[in-house]
Amino acid sequence: MTHSGRSNPSSPIRSRLTRRQLVQRAAVGAGALAVGTLRVPRAAQAANEINFWASGTLDIGDDGWKIFANESDVKVDFTDNGNDPGPVVARLAAGNASDIYDVGGLDGGSERELAKRGLIAPWDLTQIPNYASVWEWAKNIPYSTFEGRVYGIPSVINADSMIALRNRVGLVDSYGVIFDRTLRGKTAMEDAWINSVIFTAIYLKNSENAKISEPGDLTADELGLVMEFLIKHKKDGQFRTFWNGWEQGLQLVANQEVWVMTGWEPIVYAARRRGLDCYYAVPKEGYEAWCNNSILLKGAVDRKRSKTAHQLANAFLSGFYGCKLGALRGYAVPTDNNVAYATAHARAFDPAAVKELSEHVKAKFAGKVYWQNTRPANFQLYEEWWQRLRNA
Amino acid sequence: MPDKVAGRRRRAAFFLALPSLVVFISIGFVPLALVAIWSFWSFDPETYWIKPVWSLASYTALLKNGRAAVLLQTAGLAALTATVSTLLAVPAATVIGLLSGPRRATLLVALFTIPFFTSGLVRAFAWRLVLGREGVINNVLISLGVVHTPVEWLLFSDFAVVLGMVAAHLPLAIVPIVLAFARIEGSVIRASQDLGAGFWTMFSSIVLPLIMPGVVAGFLFVFVVAIGTSMEIQLLGGAGASSIAIMINDVMRVVNFPLAFAIATVVAILLIVVIIVADRALELSRLFEDRGA
Repeated sequence: MTHSGRSNPSSPIRSRLTRRQLVQRAAVGAGALAVGTLRVPRAAQAANEINFWASGTLDIGDDGWKIFANESDVKVDFTDNGNDPGPVVARLAAGNASDIYDVGGLDGGSERELAKRGLIAPWDLTQIPNYASVWEWAKNIPYSTFEGRVYGIPSVINADSMIALRNRVGLVDSYGVIFDRTLRGKTAMEDAWINSVIFTAIYLKNSENAKISEPGDLTADELGLVMEFLIKHKKDGQFRTFWNGWEQGLQLVANQEVWVMTGWEPIVYAARRRGLDCYYAVPKEGYEAWCNNSILLKGAVDRKRSKTAHQLANAFLSGFYGCKLGALRGYAVPTDNNVAYATAHARAFDPAAVKELSEHVKAKFAGKVYWQNTRPANFQLYEEWWQRLRNA
Repeated sequence: MPDKVAGRRRRAAFFLALPSLVVFISIGFVPLALVAIWSFWSFDPETYWIKPVWSLASYTALLKNGRAAVLLQTAGLAALTATVSTLLAVPAATVIGLLSGPRRATLLVALFTIPFFTSGLVRAFAWRLVLGREGVINNVLISLGVVHTPVEWLLFSDFAVVLGMVAAHLPLAIVPIVLAFARIEGSVIRASQDLGAGFWTMFSSIVLPLIMPGVVAGFLFVFVVAIGTSMEIQLLGGAGASSIAIMINDVMRVVNFPLAFAIATVVAILLIVVIIVADRALELSRLFEDRGA
């Protein structure tokens, strides 16, 4: 008797399987497959449990969330939302995100639209005592309020500019270097209008005297001006590539594929660890400021989870989360509670490093900054223009 | 009597095919038909959803913002990739299907499928390390004195995209040709040799016509997969290089479903036309000859 049963008509396994049995088993198999794809209803949520749906950079890992839960009595179930505001807003408006998640975390700009549609609820600041410790200028971020009420609590804040290789381009202090013809094919920008359009607008406004009033919220004419400028430079071969994602950005710099590009500051730290002499430029035109805000989803209020959500927002500003996020990713939570926490827990965190990060971010905001806006008024037009640039 | 037997065979064939037919219609044809229908509906930016208001707006939008050009460019790039892959696949499949014994053939087929063992992202990303300014090829060229500065067009160019796609999709072209070789009777080849034909004469006048349906099938497999690829184009193409898949992704990001569906419908029609033309002009159906009689 063969064990495989393959090509053996006398195999008992084969001979016992009648057509009827085959059909029955196939039906059972298909049924099992179908059941397997159905969503199993969530187990009842514990009172102190929050489903947090945010940018991956806000995740502090299982160990971090465990300590966070011990300190705040809020157990976080973290889900990465992809950090792309378009699909996030769409899933809140037309999908089931609000049925599943309690608190969202995404780059600022979408709050007004979400608030207007009643998809998010305002925060009750009396339930977030740590909000008083938030740096004053971080409380005044445009877009995070609507009709006088706060809809976005700043959880991470920073200001972006350019990453440059010193041995290739020297010391640069203007976004003009990105469009410098002598560096044709050696510069890059991010493959996202959310950052690349505002950088270009900041440059054109400050160094080319373009009539642009708010780089983060361009009118149709202003947007046309900026995009035509980018398309012209793309066609001229100015950009080596439009980069996408952390690894690609880092690889471009580390392999000296590009000598200067607009990008995220942590790329500089990672490239330096690889022995590259690169730095984060201080542009005379100003930084692109951004803030990742916590938003209270309407579903959480409906499910009566608002109190726990407020506890979570408060805990983000209590010190541990800021220290952990700073150590993990080099991002700052805009409160001095981080330094106080690190000082009180010097064995877990280096107070000097926490203070240095805070001061570094504050110094950037002491100069000129323009706030990133992930949902400008002409949002659909931005998308159309970016596709036109890509297809040009 | 023979009519009765033929009828019984047809009924049996029908019932055997029925499960596949049901699966094809329910998860293949029905979604495609819905996509085509919804492409004529309207997008409502207020609700972020589609509404059953018939419109040609999505098809008009296809002609705007350089989308038509991207459709043609992607089709051209896919055709070039399929052509290069097929040209490389014929000799490779000849070695496997004609000049190797069963063990070596198995080993060679396994070797050619290695690209499928890794993720597309890793595969495409690896090419950056090979083709870049500081990459393996440029370092070799510079150290040999062939060039003094890195060759720029090796990376972030159509060359890099086609190279990456050919490397990724080559096995798709090889396998059908190997299967076509398996259908050639050994006696046909021996007869040609007995009649004094050399290798090239035998190959060009006997083997090549017999494997042609496999060659066409290989070309089509690569073409169909390449036309939907975005990985190599995004990672190896020039600044903001676009493709049909990237374009669909872009419009899906803003949940403009009708436009995404319109692009998908046009591509599906294009692929159906290509397959019909290939069948008519190059007799693809010969692959299935003497099977259905």
